[in-house]
Amino acid sequence: MQLRDAPRGGATGTSPSVFSRRRFLGWSLAAGGAVVAAGGGLLALRGRAAPVPGLRCLSAHEFRTLDRLAAALFPREGPVPTPADGDLARAFDAFLADEPEWNRADLRRGLFLLEYGPVVFERRLVTFSHLSGEERLAHFEGWTTGSLLRRQLAVALRKFLALVFYDRPEAWPAIGYEGPLVGGAR
Amino acid sequence: MTGAIADLSRAPPPGDLAVEICVIGSGSAGATAAWDLAAAGREVVVLEEGGDYTGERLTQRDGRMYDQLYMDRGGRTTADLGVSVLQGRVLGGGGVVNLCDVVPIPDPVLRHWQRRYGLSDFSPEALAPFRDRALADLSASLPDTADPRLFNRNNRLLRDGAAALGWRGEVMRHNRVGCEGVGTCNLGCPLDAKRNPRFVAIPRAVEAGARFFTRARAARIEGAGSEWKTVHGRRLDADGHREVGAFTVRARWVVLAANAVGSAALLLRSGIGNDRVGRHLSLQPQLPVAAWFDDEVRFFRGVPQSFAVTEFERLDDPDHGWWGFRVEAVGGTPGIVATMLPRLGLAGMRDMARLPRLAAVLCLAPDDAQGRVEVERSGRLRIRYALSDEQRGRYRAAARAAARLFLAAGAREVVVSDAPPVPVRSEADLPRLDAMSFRPATAPLLSAHQQGGVRMAPSERDGAADPEGNVHGARGIVVLDSGGFPTSASSHTMAPIITVAHFQARRLLARMRG
Repeated sequence: MQLRDAPRGGATGTSPSVFSRRRFLGWSLAAGGAVVAAGGGLLALRGRAAPVPGLRCLSAHEFRTLDRLAAALFPREGPVPTPADGDLARAFDAFLADEPEWNRADLRRGLFLLEYGPVVFERRLVTFSHLSGEERLAHFEGWTTGSLLRRQLAVALRKFLALVFYDRPEAWPAIGYEGPLVGGAR
Repeated sequence: MTGAIADLSRAPPPGDLAVEICVIGSGSAGATAAWDLAAAGREVVVLEEGGDYTGERLTQRDGRMYDQLYMDRGGRTTADLGVSVLQGRVLGGGGVVNLCDVVPIPDPVLRHWQRRYGLSDFSPEALAPFRDRALADLSASLPDTADPRLFNRNNRLLRDGAAALGWRGEVMRHNRVGCEGVGTCNLGCPLDAKRNPRFVAIPRAVEAGARFFTRARAARIEGAGSEWKTVHGRRLDADGHREVGAFTVRARWVVLAANAVGSAALLLRSGIGNDRVGRHLSLQPQLPVAAWFDDEVRFFRGVPQSFAVTEFERLDDPDHGWWGFRVEAVGGTPGIVATMLPRLGLAGMRDMARLPRLAAVLCLAPDDAQGRVEVERSGRLRIRYALSDEQRGRYRAAARAAARLFLAAGAREVVVSDAPPVPVRSEADLPRLDAMSFRPATAPLLSAHQQGGVRMAPSERDGAADPEGNVHGARGIVVLDSGGFPTSASSHTMAPIITVAHFQARRLLARMRG
């Protein structure tokens, strides 16, 4: 199942005025610092990410982090049909390509922080992508009540993914929505 | 001069464009001003950053429409992500994407502006003819409450809840003609049933000779102290995502009508005005509250917002004018609803699977205009806004009121979006709402009515523009939009903005003649 019209997802809460740069840099440095302090050992924690052809902004690791988040937010066993693996993350990549540089940079740093969230905030030797689906959801839910930066990132990422997920015609029958009612827009 | 609407993504404007008046923004203020000024024989060019979307180009799809019809692709927020700032970015402005509520400036608010803010000319009597003209522009009418397309079950539930509690409420006027109850008003009307600036002021301004340029971003204004100002603009691509060229418009008069945030930001980017520019921004944030019913509500069909509970608002607060809060029904398309519901994962999907049984309201509350627009050296916009303790208390009271209304109407469970979520199943659960923190990026507050930022005041100490809208420290740069409002004018700003734009355009014409 492929996404239609997904790459133009807006209403993400990812405007040019999203994050406090100082706070962002602080946490990113904390995550990066933890990796460096561990002699790069922590960097190896995330393992290899399979190459993803055609990405415009995201690295393969960032793509994987987002894809795993999407899978946690919208599990396959749920009542709404899910898109193909990677479709939501690819939509995010396409969205970022048209964003101002500062926003791209902030959100990419945010994905780095999310990947190392279990290390930085839970002191676990495992990265986000390697958690089970339930653990990933629990970790992300922790962000929604955590520090300001984590709440901000949670809002931004969740808003984008939810908007794109439910903007798919494939999702509508399961939620009792007929879709657009008028003319060629149906 | 021959009027026209030209898309600058396709071709640049003439290279040596010099006109009498350049209007920045084509929404309720800009389109109205352009109409009045062109009708008086003035040469007018209007710059609009968005594209021209009407009819079936309004696809009713969340992703594409938020991307195309709103500033920052629908993602504009306060700097702390506490409030989502919804601001139209399309020919016709916010009127294209609003919920069509027509609520003029209450007379007590105008008197408050006169008394507290020195806007002595803004008497109810002076504004009355311009208010009447605004209501005529909008074809304002009351919806037929017997027609489920115009008064859907979501609105009826709110009315029933208010009746059960003995609370005041009102059917709200709107500016639709020929509405079929499609329900996607926040994404524009594919039937063109909104009598908004795109279908009233803009065609009449074009008839009178005004030229509208779409995909035309005003980047900065140069020569603020000179007779001739130069507006430096950027042509955008067809989707409005990237700049593809530059242009200039020379004008004797520049009219700011780019929304409270946009007008202030343009002045700041241009280094024009005093230290009040960007201050006194009112966001009037709104808190969504939802509820589950045992049977279908289908709040996503029909006019989203036709009933308001007014029990807790007052129009004559001595310190604020309009104050308190009101509770209004609201609809929503699936994508945006999913971003507002609090639960995640499987639980969140199960919530969405029962979407037809969801009802929703918005709690509207005026503020102290404590926000501020800033522009960083990089050009990055920042909207600073912090809720006061008093506001948090008022939102808790509003959430309680909304929950009581839903429970009185028979709701199974009320959900106030917060992190963590706060479910209310009976009146005994209401004290739970007192624990809501309203820390930034917890409850999904949204702003649809930005005002201030270029506040009008007689003294330079108190405002960025004089009571006629002339920006202090500049010559011939005039704010005619909600940026000039000293406080929240009303619960809904379209009619107030059109009223003031007609009023101020009349006064501007008099100055031009003088």
